[in-house]
Amino acid sequence: MALHIQPYRAEHEPAVADFNRRIRAAGEDENLVFYQSATPRWLPPASSSRIHNEFFLAIANDGVHGGYALKTQDFLLPDGQIRSIGYYHHPLSEGIVDKAHAAIGMLLLRDAITRSPLLYCLGMGGYERPLPQMLIRLGWSHFAVPFFFRVLRPAKFLRQMQTLRHSAARRLALDLAAFTGAGWLGTKLFQSYRALTSPRVKRSEALEVQIFSQETQSLWVDARSNCSLTAVRDHQTLRLLYPGSESHLSRIEVRRDGRLIGWAVVGERRHDAKYGNLRVGSVVDNWAFPGESLSIVQHATQVLERQGFDLILTNQGHQGWGRAFLASGYLPGPSNFLFAASRKLSELLEPFDHVKLRMHLTRADGDGLPRNF
Amino acid sequence: MNSTLEQVQAIACDIFGIPSARITADSSPETVETWDSIHHLNLVLAIEEKFQVQLSPEEIQEMKSVGAVAVLVESKLQSSAR
Repeated sequence: MALHIQPYRAEHEPAVADFNRRIRAAGEDENLVFYQSATPRWLPPASSSRIHNEFFLAIANDGVHGGYALKTQDFLLPDGQIRSIGYYHHPLSEGIVDKAHAAIGMLLLRDAITRSPLLYCLGMGGYERPLPQMLIRLGWSHFAVPFFFRVLRPAKFLRQMQTLRHSAARRLALDLAAFTGAGWLGTKLFQSYRALTSPRVKRSEALEVQIFSQETQSLWVDARSNCSLTAVRDHQTLRLLYPGSESHLSRIEVRRDGRLIGWAVVGERRHDAKYGNLRVGSVVDNWAFPGESLSIVQHATQVLERQGFDLILTNQGHQGWGRAFLASGYLPGPSNFLFAASRKLSELLEPFDHVKLRMHLTRADGDGLPRNF
Repeated sequence: MNSTLEQVQAIACDIFGIPSARITADSSPETVETWDSIHHLNLVLAIEEKFQVQLSPEEIQEMKSVGAVAVLVESKLQSSAR
């Protein structure tokens, strides 16, 4: 059975529907399906755009047996050059339900590397999952992008956070902390302490905008040397990634004395059982003039507080942004949001352990936009 | 010197973590419980390293049993010796 990996076209859609039915019938997670439409809804290829998303399928004579998505986007690299880099996401192989297809996962990845040797993966759900294990075995460089969270409603958080409530003793202790107010007191004391000990910042104003202003272009140019690796976040890219039509996202511009010093994008995360019925906000993306990250984090946090969220989450690759979130009362948590770079890309990221500290990676660099971040 | 099949069987035992008595030329993903996508990758990489060969996507698809892997390796070694 000869298998070929080729671009997903409209005529393949019925075969993809069959493939999805077979995966579902085998009892896998019903969300674990490949894209039903050959044309990506998010960032479809357009001749005028340097950022786009494409789908590829593993096709044999008897149908489709796997597929993956490849986002192509310009990145600034440590050598100061801007290069087009591929992001490998949503791989799905029939090998997960039928071991006769065990080779397909590897073939999909090899195909993506051939198409885009400068390739990365982001997210992946933790090191125990098959994809990161495969990447490590192939010699990819990797690290877990630091995760931070801030509790806005401590009692609700203690009662709803399912990942903390895995035993009867834990549930009792958390309920006690919630109902006695000890959880609230502890959280507020910690956040007050952080507020008192964090660096002072000069006054600035935040404005929620429908579309990012032209000044984001000069901010991109002025601030990019602070990063070893970052997706291009110029004005054109921001308007493409965060169009005014995405009403579930808030675009925040922060100014001091009328001058733009940074921006952030925040929004509500999709419901996830592990958070119970908490309303979870996310700092999806952010950018600032060097030294101004703390102001941006504070304003982004205030916007999410005003929107009534119970908990705020974020992932931040750059250590400077990590420090700003910690100084703003966020806590670090275990991260399952992994970054992995192909061997070709890793060659441009040497020394990796040093370079990774200034990689500007956020949820926006993953597959979560426009709604699942 | 061990035959190619014996060498492939030894690699498979190591990769799949099962005793050599349970690995035959007919062993395949259907009969070896631990032969999943990750172990398939490990098998490919181990074969490439041990025999100093590069396997194409088409050849990786042919690796449907231990015997098929041995036949593939034999053919690769013979063509590289020519």
